[in-house]
Amino acid sequence: MKTAVIKFPGTTCEVDVYKALLEAKVDAEIVKFKDFDPDKYEAVVLPGGFSFGDYLRAGSIAASTETMKKVKEMASEGKVVIGICNGFQILVESGLLEGALLPNLNLRFISKWVYIKVVRDDTVLTRGLDKKILRMPIAHAEGRYYHEDVEKAKSLAVFLYSDEFGNVSEKANPNGSLLNIAGIANEEGNVVGMMPHPERASFKLTSPTEETDGLLLFRGLSK
Amino acid sequence: MKLTLSPYEMEIVRKKLGREPSEAEWLVIDALWSEHCSYKSSKTFLKSFPSEGENVVMGIEDWQDAGAIDVGDGWAIVLKVESHNHPSAIDPFNGAATGVGGIIRDIISKGARPIALLDMIRVGNLSSSKNRWLLKNIIAGIGFYGNSIGVPVIGGELEFDDSYNDNPLVDVAGVGIVRKDKIVPSVIKEPGLKIVIVGLTGLDGLGGASFASRKLSGEDEIGAVQIADPFAGKIVLDVTLEVADKVEAIKDLGGGGLVVGITEMANGFGAIVDLNKVPLRVKDLSPEEILISETQERMLFAVKEEKVEEVCKAFEYYDYPCAVIGEFVKEPFIKFYYNGKEVVSLPSELLLSPPRFVWGVKKKKRNTGSRPEVGLEESVKAIVSNFVSKEWAYSQFDYEVGTSTVLKPGEADAGLIALPNGKLLAIKGDANPDLCSEDAYECGKAIVAEAYRNLASVGAIGIGLVDHLQFGDPRKPEVYNDFIEAIRGIAEAAKFFSIPIVGGKVSFYNENKDGVPIKPTPLVVMAGLVKEKFLRNKVDESYIVLIGFTRDEMRGSLFTKIFGNYGEVPKTRLNEDYLASNLVIDSINDQSIIFAKDINKGGLVGALFSILVKGMGVEINLGRIPSDSDDWIPKLFSENSGRFIVLTNDPEAISKKSKGIYVSVIGKVTRNQNVLKIDEKEINLEKQILNYYNYLDEVMS
Repeated sequence: MKTAVIKFPGTTCEVDVYKALLEAKVDAEIVKFKDFDPDKYEAVVLPGGFSFGDYLRAGSIAASTETMKKVKEMASEGKVVIGICNGFQILVESGLLEGALLPNLNLRFISKWVYIKVVRDDTVLTRGLDKKILRMPIAHAEGRYYHEDVEKAKSLAVFLYSDEFGNVSEKANPNGSLLNIAGIANEEGNVVGMMPHPERASFKLTSPTEETDGLLLFRGLSK
Repeated sequence: MKLTLSPYEMEIVRKKLGREPSEAEWLVIDALWSEHCSYKSSKTFLKSFPSEGENVVMGIEDWQDAGAIDVGDGWAIVLKVESHNHPSAIDPFNGAATGVGGIIRDIISKGARPIALLDMIRVGNLSSSKNRWLLKNIIAGIGFYGNSIGVPVIGGELEFDDSYNDNPLVDVAGVGIVRKDKIVPSVIKEPGLKIVIVGLTGLDGLGGASFASRKLSGEDEIGAVQIADPFAGKIVLDVTLEVADKVEAIKDLGGGGLVVGITEMANGFGAIVDLNKVPLRVKDLSPEEILISETQERMLFAVKEEKVEEVCKAFEYYDYPCAVIGEFVKEPFIKFYYNGKEVVSLPSELLLSPPRFVWGVKKKKRNTGSRPEVGLEESVKAIVSNFVSKEWAYSQFDYEVGTSTVLKPGEADAGLIALPNGKLLAIKGDANPDLCSEDAYECGKAIVAEAYRNLASVGAIGIGLVDHLQFGDPRKPEVYNDFIEAIRGIAEAAKFFSIPIVGGKVSFYNENKDGVPIKPTPLVVMAGLVKEKFLRNKVDESYIVLIGFTRDEMRGSLFTKIFGNYGEVPKTRLNEDYLASNLVIDSINDQSIIFAKDINKGGLVGALFSILVKGMGVEINLGRIPSDSDDWIPKLFSENSGRFIVLTNDPEAISKKSKGIYVSVIGKVTRNQNVLKIDEKEINLEKQILNYYNYLDEVMS
């Protein structure tokens, strides 16, 4: 899938995501936010960072840009939209995904390697990975997922924070997310948002265990 | 108008100029002649640093913003260290954040992409709520800026000492990467270029350079602190690198603001600047305020006329202000105009050549007592209680961004990042204020040797270093003596290891409210390349091998800090550090060891504690520790240099490679969790290990 990686002012992870996509054999390119032409792509990734400085609220300014109108068009056409970290925050702020991402329970930025368990395999990222336990880092200050309808949240969830054996417990929840939710998708499964960074678990050299679980997700975009 | 110029200096100005300078001119001179910008009390001795080497692409003498070292395949790294001590004492969040911003802009000034940061933090005891407030905001400020601009913080130091009660030390080091042939200078080589400024000038950071060059007054000095805007900083970072090969010189507007930036960039040529053209954040700034404002996120470029439009267009894509404010000229005068009137006209030569000072020196009297009567268990527990996990701090930093962080913070004694040419760069900052307050010369050598060992413990050999010299008021003879002694030590060790010093910084006037100076805190940051393999430490059942010889030299150690000072100052036998380090590197490369740690704070026990916190037990036999004394205190707690502990299943593989360095199997790693067994004595350290993991979280929440 021809994939655009969007760079907003303040985005920090566009090169990392681009490199990881190449590693996963995805046809990708970095596109500056004003230069984005949605008709050229079948998929779009909103990488992490601090778009527009996260002023006002994380992701909120980026959510109201012309660029996001184009991303919404893509989503409604059934094309693939992925948001990672700040990208997830932008998707929530723009209404493409339901719920909210609140400040972490301890009110601090948290940088940490965590385990997540795949609980939905009807998205392009998770096809064939049901119940799989993945290891990758999180790095955010506002990642506590919230939805006023718990049942709805349960049905949207794609990734849950767990321990290395897949047990979803409070202890394994780094930020106080509802139901340990680390990532969700819309009902159709073509819009996916996640707080953990798969691109940071895509290279053997920089992975503490040499595992590259992030590539398992990105390979979904290579077809 | 608050000036730090002395009456003597003001007299020199009047004499050289032949007239009384205007108020604006006094401010200009005050900034350029400040200790912060001019190094007037330190330059004489800084010149003794070995700054040359085959791999030095850009050294100190080039009067550039940062040094550059060749790392092969056409690439160079840019290395820089700087403190933000005074601002952080008043507004720790913005002080620390702008410290990061300043380092980043120094690196991009060379056209280099910043790839890693280190932070070395020293505050007073956390039992005081003020110190907790300082630490919390310093860490949050570093995270706020570093995270937002996408540069990983990959390591650092965090130390507590009462000496920093009113005056915390916030040191940030940065590494950048650049193609060797694309390095951009910070000074011009020809006149006729346009002066382009990007960013808005505001009211914050007024006279900051001058503020950093005197002791904290205790009065309201918040106006001298700059405000951090990392979002603007990120745009400046991205776009500066985009336009770097279209400009002739780049300079960060840091200490001293516009006047210092333009005068230094002019490099002896002249400049004519129209202050009305400077984009302002607030209306109606006076010309004096525009001149010395240190508002962050501003850069200065020297640009050929035909390239100006292209450069400014790149910034305007992000709605970032960019303006031509003047021109560099041949006539060697720095001139500022406002509303068509000349407000400053000073010879470049006068501004760039402040009087140098060499102050008087006097050796500090050091009191020393006798060997304390303490028990083994009591002293082991007291020592290890000083070690705490720094996870509370580094978990607030995005240390993975860039996907090149090979060793994570807390994982080893040095940070390790992958470079674009496939090589691995190790980096570490080291200081030892306890030792430096006993003997600044031996300490200067010791911190360079320690950094060398730290790099060796991950498999790397040092290739370059930058230093940061932090002291009290240089006019105090005892302070100045320590300062000179530390420089001697650092220079000697750097020469011995053939590691060029490619840059540095001096911070004087670090004192508490009563005028008591901080412990002398010179700090070095060393970068090195992994020779063949790198080591990711693993703790498992294995032999504990001590590399090196232990000496009864206890002064300036953690042990004597707790139980009273006595004994000799440890002498740094540099050749032992060199040989022991090479032995460790060779053992990493032939994969005969699974863990390596150099011995420093807390001596042997301090090093062994890092095994215990991994959930294992340790057994050692005092009789097997080669030492010049039978006393158990130095065997366990001496901090003399040249030593490592390594874990291996094949001690023979190490000893047969040794060149004149003791290799001794002193014990083993056991499954007896939490227990340190010394000869027949078992000491359970469960409580101290819990303290290690929980202390910072608990005290800071």
